[in-house]
Amino acid sequence: MLDLQDILKTFNPGTANEVRALRGVTLTLERGSFLIIIGTNGSGKSTLLNAVAGTFRVDSGSITLAGQDITGQPEHRRARLIGRVFQNPFSGTAPNMSIAENLALAARRGQPRGLGWALDHKLRAQIRDRIRSLNMGLEDRIDNAIGTLSGGQRQALTLLMASWLKPDLLLLDEHTAALDPKSADQVIRLTHEIIQRDQLTTLMVTHSMQQAVHLGDRIIMMHRGQVLHDLRGAERARVRQEDLLNRFDAVRRREQLDSGVADLLQSHYV
Amino acid sequence: MTLLIGAATIGLVLALLALGVYLSFRIFNFPDITADGSITLGAAVASILLVHHWSPVVATLAGFMSGVVAGTLTGVLHTKFKINGLLSGILVMTALYSVNLHVMGKSNIPLLNESTLANQAESLATRLLGGGKSEFLLAGWTVGVRDAALLIGVLLVVIAVGLTLYLFFRTNLGTAMRAAGDNPQMVCALGVSVDFIIILGLALSNGLIALSGALLAQYQGFADVQMGIGIVVWGLASVIIGEALVGTKKIGVLITGAVMGSVLFRLLVAIALRWGLNPNDLKLITAAFVFAALVTPAALRKLRLASKPAAT
Ligand SMILES: Nc1ncnc2c1ncn2[C@@H]1O[C@H](COP(=O)(O)OP(=O)(O)OP(=O)(O)O)[C@@H](O)[C@H]1O
Ligand SMILES: [Mg+2]
Repeated sequence: MLDLQDILKTFNPGTANEVRALRGVTLTLERGSFLIIIGTNGSGKSTLLNAVAGTFRVDSGSITLAGQDITGQPEHRRARLIGRVFQNPFSGTAPNMSIAENLALAARRGQPRGLGWALDHKLRAQIRDRIRSLNMGLEDRIDNAIGTLSGGQRQALTLLMASWLKPDLLLLDEHTAALDPKSADQVIRLTHEIIQRDQLTTLMVTHSMQQAVHLGDRIIMMHRGQVLHDLRGAERARVRQEDLLNRFDAVRRREQLDSGVADLLQSHYV
Repeated sequence: MTLLIGAATIGLVLALLALGVYLSFRIFNFPDITADGSITLGAAVASILLVHHWSPVVATLAGFMSGVVAGTLTGVLHTKFKINGLLSGILVMTALYSVNLHVMGKSNIPLLNESTLANQAESLATRLLGGGKSEFLLAGWTVGVRDAALLIGVLLVVIAVGLTLYLFFRTNLGTAMRAAGDNPQMVCALGVSVDFIIILGLALSNGLIALSGALLAQYQGFADVQMGIGIVVWGLASVIIGEALVGTKKIGVLITGAVMGSVLFRLLVAIALRWGLNPNDLKLITAAFVFAALVTPAALRKLRLASKPAAT
């Protein structure tokens, strides 16, 4: 379904701020699989999702999604295949437009937009139905500006928007990190429901080990722009929160060792 | 009375400018200076066609189209060549000054003897009223037939344009355009090319502004290469007054507000001039007014926050 071959991405190449954010990521995802991505800060998780979404062009490597080579396509062209929820609840919705208008925009994701009415009775009824299923009491407020809602409500709506037309790939980048625990739980439950119901192929970044072990059918751990661990099948089924934390510790110890060695070398030779 | 009707008519003509400025400045938050050049371009193109005896309707539409081209250019400079928005507008505006002189062939084209929309409206009104009267009585006031005909004619045009714009903003494309100004990241993630939408929006905006210029030239009976200087600030003033008048974020109301703002602004200017305001000071005062209107809301908010006890 999704096939990444040896993706490289360096930000600000040749300058003092050079960051090699992705250093050869190869990853294949079957249709319907739900991949959880964990990793330390700055390990390249968001960059990987952005590379797939097309926020920037990768330096080398190829990206194939649903049988199409999308490596060179701009972000808005890839959008017909990809639904997306950002970390920041403000990123996924247009605050000054109504709930209904936002969903109407999502209902045409990736399709040509002409001079037909954005909202008709049928669509409004559909929107009200789907919003009712969120159980947030928003179904009577679909003409209110989305900017008046809480972060959790906005994130739930963004999820609804991203999945309105079943995307070939759903990208979730720490989409509950900015929420209070209660809203986060609610959004995670909704995420689970939608992915289950529509059998969506999903990439989800999270910092929560609890989410990592309870959701999804495969876990990768990234480190320094590479995939360090890839847990699937029986190994994935056995894994517990402690195991993941141990792996983080191991990475951290190795880092310290590395910097210790560097100091040693420096004191000896410089 | 004639003075007030005249001011209201110019206000309505410039309401199209206000709608254009509203589109670029409020929907996209794009400070588009192209307006100064495109209003003159619209006037120039329409006038030169009128001088060559083209139909006034065709000449006016050609004026509109010339603005569409100018706006497209600014949009392409900004999105494809990544030039800062303000600078893109300045470049196109500056270039248009020469273009306008070329189009007109000289710096001023009189239209008094041409068949213009204004003259057509006048003769239609005279025929409707029956007889060759040039004035009539309305609620005790003598009103010039030409003045009344122009006011009503322009009002109809503005209503038609405003309504079209309102309906456009409720289509798929128009909704995407509003959203692109509100949250470009989201619109892109939903499959809309933000670059394309910005170009389209600026084209439409400058089309309206040029249409305003084409009508203005026909109303005042001449096109002048200097007529656009500083006009964007006037449009801005109208939009701001309009927003203050209506005070909501509903798109239909805001469109109406921009029109009302433009008319009110013109009436205020007419009255101030009548009271002896030096016309040379007009632009200074307008600029000062726009400045005040732009900073007051933020200043008020700050004051309110400062006066509130610290949140616990
Ligand atoms: N647009 C950019 N320009 C320059 N550097 C960038 C850009 N985006 C990311 N980086 C850098 O690339 C590296 C990887 O960043 P990324 O955001 O992918 O990390 P992450 O794994 O998502 O981290 P976090 O857990 O903090 O979200 C970081 O060093 C970051 O500073
Ligand atoms: Mg991140």
